[in-house]
Amino acid sequence: MRLTAAVLITSVLLSITCKADYDIEEVTPSGHIGTDSHDEHEECEVCDDAEHHDHEHEADSAATVLLHEESDEHDALEMAGSDRHVHDAGERNHGTGWFFNQPWAATFIWGKMVRDIVILLVLSAAVLFMSGHRRKRH
Amino acid sequence: MKPVITFALMTLRNLLRRRTIWGISIVILLALFAIGQIPGYGVSNEGRFILDFGLFGLEIGALLLAIGLASNIYPRDREKRTVMPIIAVPLSRGQYLMGRFIGAAIIEAAAMITGCIGLMVILLTNGHSIPADMLPATGLLLIEGWFLLAVVFFFSFWTSPPLNAPLTVLLFIVSQLSVSGFIKLFPQAPDLMRTLRLVLPHMDVFHIKDPIAHGMDIPDLYFLLATLYGLAYTAFMLSMALAVFRNRDLK
Repeated sequence: MRLTAAVLITSVLLSITCKADYDIEEVTPSGHIGTDSHDEHEECEVCDDAEHHDHEHEADSAATVLLHEESDEHDALEMAGSDRHVHDAGERNHGTGWFFNQPWAATFIWGKMVRDIVILLVLSAAVLFMSGHRRKRH
Repeated sequence: MKPVITFALMTLRNLLRRRTIWGISIVILLALFAIGQIPGYGVSNEGRFILDFGLFGLEIGALLLAIGLASNIYPRDREKRTVMPIIAVPLSRGQYLMGRFIGAAIIEAAAMITGCIGLMVILLTNGHSIPADMLPATGLLLIEGWFLLAVVFFFSFWTSPPLNAPLTVLLFIVSQLSVSGFIKLFPQAPDLMRTLRLVLPHMDVFHIKDPIAHGMDIPDLYFLLATLYGLAYTAFMLSMALAVFRNRDLK
């Protein structure tokens, strides 16, 4: 019973002191993902007027490929994805937030990882000491 | 320290005699071989898929190995009553736990390195290059495996053997979820779910297969941080396991 209580108290302490602000999705700074110039992409997917957009739609690419296959005037480079979907250097593609919110890329949580390491080690030592001390008393 | 090493080597020899370990290792290698046989259908980046699926296979292998290696050690010792003479004189309970853990951890490391080499061979035979961070990525999966090993030891002291594997798998699954994803499992009690999730480790710390598959460089500092994070969590789980074990009446 005492042990269960100790486990519960340790868990609550861990959640309060160690992990309270760790979820990357919640603590991502606004500038981390970069300027998402294609936020309008979802809107333009439902828009019928493709002429107002500066890049071609994925759905249109199949038809484009068929047209290009019929004509020898176009070379393969014109159909390359990079021609249709150009980003400035350093600008990240739309829909890649999940990728750059992984811990290896989210440098803003590395400090929290260091803090977690220290707290986990301190908690380990405390649990070891407490369990050993209690056993000696018995 | 010498008694722990001697006991760890004894554990190593005992575990190598078990057919379960060889079975799981063969299944991992067969799964990697099968991943290499998936046709590319002319996709230019086929190597990414082999690497991604291969590292995922190694991660699942680490979970299976942790359960297969550690879930039966203590229950078997207790059933055969070998644990009592061991901890009566030559070893303390802490040394018993460390000896068993180190022995199982060595086998887990050997299996993961073998799996990594197998994946490298599959990549090479399919005409793909081996990423520079492949070994460190496997190393992080091994750290994850060691953490799972500590979890299995904790559950083997705390619960009955039939509950050990399901609880470990459950912890493995929920530790992959984000906080918001975990709350969605039971949205009626968001505060409780949030607290529960925040106690659990962030397994995504050990996952770097996506950037490696896309040819991105991982900072060396991150490998160090993730390794220390995994080892610290492993130490915490082992200390909890020892606290439970010290409280156990073995009579």
